[in-house]
Amino acid sequence: MNSIELKNLTVRYREGIAIENINLEIQHPSFVTIMGPNGAGKTTLLKAIMGMVPYEGEIKIMGKNPKEGKRVIGYLPQRERINTNVPVTVKDVVLMPLVSNVRGVKKEHVKKAKEVLKMVNMIDYWNRRFDALSGGQQQRVLFARTLVTDPDILILDEPFSATDVKTKTSLIHLLHSFKNEKTILIVIHDINPLVECTDYVLLLKKKVLGFGMVKDVINEENMERLYGTRVPVIRTPETCYVVGGDRHV
Amino acid sequence: MFDILVIRGIIAMFLIAIVAATIGSFSVFRGSTFFVSGIAHGALAGAALGIFISLSFFPADPLIVAIIFSVFVALAIGYASYKKEDVDIAIGVMFAFSMSIAVLFLSMIREYASVAWGLIIGDVLLLSEEDINILLISVITLLIVFIIFYRKMLYVIFDPESAEANGVHVLLYESLLYVLIAVGVVALLKCVGAILVYALLVVPAAASRRIFQGMATTIAGAFIISLVSGLGGIWLSMYLNVAPSSLAGLIAASIYAVTLTKK
Repeated sequence: MNSIELKNLTVRYREGIAIENINLEIQHPSFVTIMGPNGAGKTTLLKAIMGMVPYEGEIKIMGKNPKEGKRVIGYLPQRERINTNVPVTVKDVVLMPLVSNVRGVKKEHVKKAKEVLKMVNMIDYWNRRFDALSGGQQQRVLFARTLVTDPDILILDEPFSATDVKTKTSLIHLLHSFKNEKTILIVIHDINPLVECTDYVLLLKKKVLGFGMVKDVINEENMERLYGTRVPVIRTPETCYVVGGDRHV
Repeated sequence: MFDILVIRGIIAMFLIAIVAATIGSFSVFRGSTFFVSGIAHGALAGAALGIFISLSFFPADPLIVAIIFSVFVALAIGYASYKKEDVDIAIGVMFAFSMSIAVLFLSMIREYASVAWGLIIGDVLLLSEEDINILLISVITLLIVFIIFYRKMLYVIFDPESAEANGVHVLLYESLLYVLIAVGVVALLKCVGAILVYALLVVPAAASRRIFQGMATTIAGAFIISLVSGLGGIWLSMYLNVAPSSLAGLIAASIYAVTLTKK
């Protein structure tokens, strides 16, 4: 079954076309890493999939339109867009997607929130203020929040920004553990830490420049087309790494 | 025994503390405290417009027109913010628009201009029974709406992108928050005046945010700081014979200054 299907997807902003004529079929489950330079339309693509921006073309999430289908998505936006003026605790943050206006918080919600915080090793911070945490700790809490609804699809926008090696490693291991049960779409500038778990790489520069397995797509020719400059690639018998990124974490 | 005006003032300060703790806190968390000031000036424009309509066309209660105009200003700012306009710029534009409307109509209703000014220059010790009733109904309504919707509003002001991805209607909840702030501000204007609405809605929440950890305790803290400031202002005014609202504003600002020393 396809988790995500895009047909002739185009998004236009006032400033011009953000992404153009994207056609894609992503099987469930699979791990897709999206690469591209700044302004390539990576975040716009993610938002279009969730129906958060006006688009032309057709989008199917688990066979449904984005409005219906986004219920099975857990989304991690870039952390810089969070408003840390709000004095919420870790518990409040993780529970946000579950609470409703009238019913409030149920016992099973709390149980689930604790469960996902344990996964990211943040359960000891349950009552701690979110804005008092380090960047890496905040990112782990936000990652736990994406898991709290038990989504079939995880959409992660630069999840490792401002994280140290320890946090990055633990998050990658956690993502790896979901590889066979969820579809994971991840936007990242440096693919190297993810080459082992990535099934498919999507090279995006407003249009799809390449889509396929790491060893087929990551090559110097494609990197030059993507970034407009020569980017050396090291090939091993199993996979390949982009020079300039983290070799491994 | 206390004079009836003092008792009304004490009741008003309790009600103001409720608005400060709820609506005031959320305007601080949203990072749009200048919005409160913008709305207060929108109320002046609305009151002037209301008097002009009464004199020229048909009877219109200036307070009602002030509320409607302030809600319009609030929704315009909310829409501009949703359309990715910097919220400070949106408030500044609506501030300029409101003041232009206010000056325009105040110049057309010269002999009645004091009525419009009277709506935004309040005195907590000069409240009528009707004023208290209007304030009571406004605050109870605000509180009910706030209790029902605060969770989603909190999600929207904390992380609008994630909220939208989770199916929360961001524009709707942001607009609701702005409307609540607008109604809260106009309801309080008659009690403490435009400038001190700003002081009593914003400063207690800002101070409480620096002291307390969670959402509930921060809101409770804002209530207590606002109440202490308000009642302290009334109490001191009896000895110093100056306006209680100004003393309340000074007490609140002093409490905030003390919280700045907290690491």
